[in-house]
Parts: sequence; structure tokens; C-alpha cells
Amino acid sequence: MAKTMEDLMELIDKMPEEPAKPGEFILPELMAIAVAHQVRDDDIVFAGTGLPMVGIMTANFLNAPHALLIYESGICDGKTMHVPMSVCDQRAANMSSSLGGLVDTFGYYLQQGFVSLGFLGGAAIDKYGGVNVTSIGDYFKPSHRFTGSGGNSDIGTMARRVAYIILQEKRRFLERNEYTTTPGWWCWDFKKNEWKPKKEVWKGTPYADSGPVAVVTNMGVYNFDDKGEIYLHTFHPGVTVQQVKDNCGFDLNVSRVKGETPCPTYKELFVLREFVDPELIFLPQKVEYPAKLKSLIG
Amino acid sequence: MPRYRDKTKKAEIMSLEDAVKKFMHDDVVVAYSGFTGFNRNPVAFAWETVRQKIKNIHVVDRHGSVCTWLLNAVGAIKIYETDWMGWGEMAGKLDVNLERGYKAGKVILEDYSHGAMAMRFLAGAIGAPFIPYNAPLGSDLYNPKYDALGKAGLRGKNFRYPKKKFIQMEEPFFGEGDTVLLPAARPEVAVIHVAQAGDKGTARWRGVGTIDKEISFASDKVVILAEEIVPEADLRKNPESNQIPYFVVDAVVECPWGAYPSSVPFYYDYDAPFMRGMDAASRNEADLKKWLDEWVFGPKNWEDLLVKLGSKKLLDLRADSVTGYSTRMMRGKKPAPRMKMPLSVARSGY
Repeated sequence: MAKTMEDLMELIDKMPEEPAKPGEFILPELMAIAVAHQVRDDDIVFAGTGLPMVGIMTANFLNAPHALLIYESGICDGKTMHVPMSVCDQRAANMSSSLGGLVDTFGYYLQQGFVSLGFLGGAAIDKYGGVNVTSIGDYFKPSHRFTGSGGNSDIGTMARRVAYIILQEKRRFLERNEYTTTPGWWCWDFKKNEWKPKKEVWKGTPYADSGPVAVVTNMGVYNFDDKGEIYLHTFHPGVTVQQVKDNCGFDLNVSRVKGETPCPTYKELFVLREFVDPELIFLPQKVEYPAKLKSLIG
Repeated sequence: MPRYRDKTKKAEIMSLEDAVKKFMHDDVVVAYSGFTGFNRNPVAFAWETVRQKIKNIHVVDRHGSVCTWLLNAVGAIKIYETDWMGWGEMAGKLDVNLERGYKAGKVILEDYSHGAMAMRFLAGAIGAPFIPYNAPLGSDLYNPKYDALGKAGLRGKNFRYPKKKFIQMEEPFFGEGDTVLLPAARPEVAVIHVAQAGDKGTARWRGVGTIDKEISFASDKVVILAEEIVPEADLRKNPESNQIPYFVVDAVVECPWGAYPSSVPFYYDYDAPFMRGMDAASRNEADLKKWLDEWVFGPKNWEDLLVKLGSKKLLDLRADSVTGYSTRMMRGKKPAPRMKMPLSVARSGY
């Protein structure tokens, strides 16, 4: 007889906490778990659709069971049974603490300073964590036009800590963005037309010390130093530091690298696959479990 | 903008066709309800707008939706003030037709951020001319050079077009750095899809509110599309569940399944595969024309479109009464598991 969700749930804590071997998971799974590791149990998280949401839902089962998730459309601490495809999905509103609207999320929660972690996507990023989700080329006559800010620039500047998930390519990791949608640790002061630290542009506001702390890509995990400059923290299994540097449009600081990104553990993979995305919406491919896990699951 | 009324509005119950004919016209400034392409989009209204060939529409929006996708598919939008020109999130992110129109110089696009648009509607709703907001300083959104309406010579054209995109200023009361003043949003028509409307015009939805109440109060005229019109007396039994009072409502249209393929919580779910099909069709003009002929210009009316979708589809999308969404619909590669409660709660509480 097929196992019910409750039966499977009993198995979570029986799953080995040792890292899976390369080949036993796909890259988006590793990235989703890398996202989950950025979440703390006392965080109030404001996250975008896709891998950030999937990662944070995974963290809710494991390392951060009490992290509170805010969804952009007005949902506060929804307890989902089925993974949402949108931040306004009724699935995300299930058993929420309260339901409001955009004024609640951007005003009462975000501008008021309650959000401790923002987890967002981006099309391109600069070496100080400034993100472009708007356009490439001349703003009025772009060669590429993306969706534009959405909540990215609001969340990315007012959340206490900000993390991004971005596809890493040379043309997406830049010394300076052509258009900055969400400023990083350095940005323009348009009043004086000077490029300067965010702390100075935002001086006196409650958000002067907030900004990017981590970036997860398909090649590695990054953090930011005291000067606000990005550096490589870990590289994913199967990737070399040289490959990371080759896929970066500026001279990347690799002096602080800590080694490989840890592979997701079997327990983490089990939660991600069986409970967070069992409908195979976000992670449509699934690698088979190794034999010892199969026998545990039965 | 603040405006005294000589007499209370009386909401008129009318057909979809008549409502579009009465409230939409070339150059109208309009705002739509819901959230992205997934939640309570007044799709039937935008669909009928396309069929009646209304042009040069100015949309003031919290972001793209199925409505703006339809209008962009026929090039009906001239000016688009928004913060996100996507529409379908996981089922078709960027509005390809809009991108095409923009690159060809046919659409004027004014970029804001999501919080900023929310605040602009809030200001419009409460009759304030502007609102201070900690909009992202140092973002090119607030780069004085990037003012699309200004570049097009539209600033200050009339009371719907603020003289400036924004003003950055020193926060004058507490000395807390710089803040940004944003102008109120003042659309002419708000088009709001809800679950229930009373016969007098009071409106109610379940699920997220997005910015729909604010849009309704910010606009001169409000058209409500409802899954069902119910006796006003029934809505008065639980007034705390109502969001829009009747006195701002001009027209009520009963339009079951009128938000398809977006969802109406507790009525029906979104149709992600259908939206992916729309996205795929927009990738080239021949496919798009075929899609429009089949789904927009082909059906005799909205009911006819529902008949074309078929009872199997509608049955799969029908929301269950406990969760408000459907678990029979295939969204990914496997069916939804049967759940009793959120497992993260079962595991660690709240």
C-alpha cells in the first residue's frame, strides 16, 4: 500500500544526516538547500517565487522551523500544505496568521523594519551586490528588457539581510550594472551624481546598515566583506575556483574561499522531494534515492 | 483626488458587453484588481475590451496580469505605469508582447517599485496628493534621468498625470535621512473582480486583498465583476467580511468564471498549463494570431468560452470548500498529495 504523508513524516528523523554523493541530486536541489541554510529560526523572511520559496519551506521543516514567511501579496506566516506557484496563491494563504494586502507587506511589515531576511532573484549583479532586473543597454532603447523591480528593490533595501539567487555567467556578474534596480553596498547618490557607499546615501535612515549578505548561484555561494565587496565563500561540487573566476566579469576575491559547498544531506533531500515539492513543479527532475534510502522508505 | 459627490452613486447591474461599452473608451486610464496572473484578474472584462477594440489605453498597475497580457497581445496599451511587466510568475514570467511593443517604441513604460505603486494607490485612496516612502535611494528607478512620462511630454497634462515622477527630499520631521515623495495614483476606472457582490454594490472576496480596496477608492469609477450577485441583506450579516462599500461602486456585472485562467479563492483555481500555452503562443506572431482567433475572437461570448473549455477542465479547477483551491488539478508532473494539515506545523508547531 502506498505510504500516506503521515507515514512518510515519521521517516524524516530516521533519514541519515550525512551528505549525499554527487550524482544523487540535481544542481537546483543543492541550490535550494543552500538557500535553506541562510535562514535562521528567528527570521521574518520576505521571499520571491521559485527556489527562494522552496528553500525557505525546506528550512521550515529542518533548521528553521519557526522562521516566519511573508508573501508579497499580503500573506503573513502561511502554513502551506501544497507548494504555491505564486506569492498570491491561495495555497500560501493556508492557515496564515493574518491576511492583508500590499500596504500590509510593504508598509506594516517591510518599511516598519520587521523583515530580517529578504530572499530574491536577479538578472545581473555587481561586485557590491547591486542587482539589475530591469534592462540591458540604453534604458529607453534596451537590447534586453526584463520584468523590472516588482518588490525586488523595496525588499532588497529595507530587509535587514538580503540574499540573492542568480544564474552565474560572465555577463551577469559585473563590475557595474548598466541599470541598478536594487542598490547594493555601493550606489549612486543622484543628488550629487556620485557613486558612493550605500551607508552614506542612506545616512540617517533606519535602513543604512541593511544590505546583501549572501548570493547563491549555480557555481557557488558568496558573502560580502566589510567593504561591501562580494567574495567567494564556497564553490559547488564539480566546479573549480578557476571556472568560477572565468564566469565572473570582474576580478573576484577568492582568497577567503572555505572549500566546497556542502552537498545536501539525505534528510534534506527527503524533505525537499517528499514534502516541499512532491508535485514536481519546481524541481521536475528527480534522481533516484540510493539503495539504503529506498529500503528505509520501503 | 478628493471629490464631493452631489448624490450617492447607485450601482447599476449590467452585462459584460454593456459595462465595457459604458466605461471603456480610447485613452482611458484604468487599473485592474488581483495579483499577477494568478489571483482575481478581471479577465472577462479585459477580454471584452479587446473584442470591442478599445485603443491607446493607459494602465496604472501594481504589475502585469492576464488582463494586461490580453491588451498587450493586440497592442491596446499605450502607456503602462507599473513595477513589474511580467504577468505569469512560474507560468510565463515576462510579457513578451509588451517587451516587443516597448522595444518597437509603441508603449511608454514608467517603472516604479512594487511598494511604491502600493503607496501611490494608498495615497490616491485616502485623497492625499502624495505620500512619503522609503523608496530605494540609489536605484535607477529614482534616477531623475529616467522619467518616461516626462520624456513623452505628459507630465502635468491633467490631474491624472503628476508633474513629477517623484521628489527626493530630506525627511523634515525627525531628521531621518532622505525620503521619497510619490504622487498619488488617480485612474479613471477601477475594474475589480470579486467573489460576491450585493445587489446594491457591496463587494466581498476571500483570500489576499492585494491593493484592490485602495484601487477602488483611488479611481473615479468602479466596475465590479462578481462570481455571483447575492442579496445585499446577506452580505450585511457579516459586514466585517466585506471590503468595498457600495457607495463607490458604479456597476456590477455578474460573471461566473470571469477571472479564468486566474483564480478566485474558494471558487476556482488558476490554470497554469493554459497560461503556459498563452506564453508559448506569444513567442511568435503567427501563433499569437491563431491563439487570439481561437480564444478571444472565436467564442460568441464569455459563456461560449467556458463551454469551449469543457466541464472536465472546470471540474478539475473547482476549488474545494475547505482550502479554497483545487487538489485535482495537475500543476506539475505528479498529482497533489492528500493532506490533513500543514506538515511543518505537525512537526514543530507555529
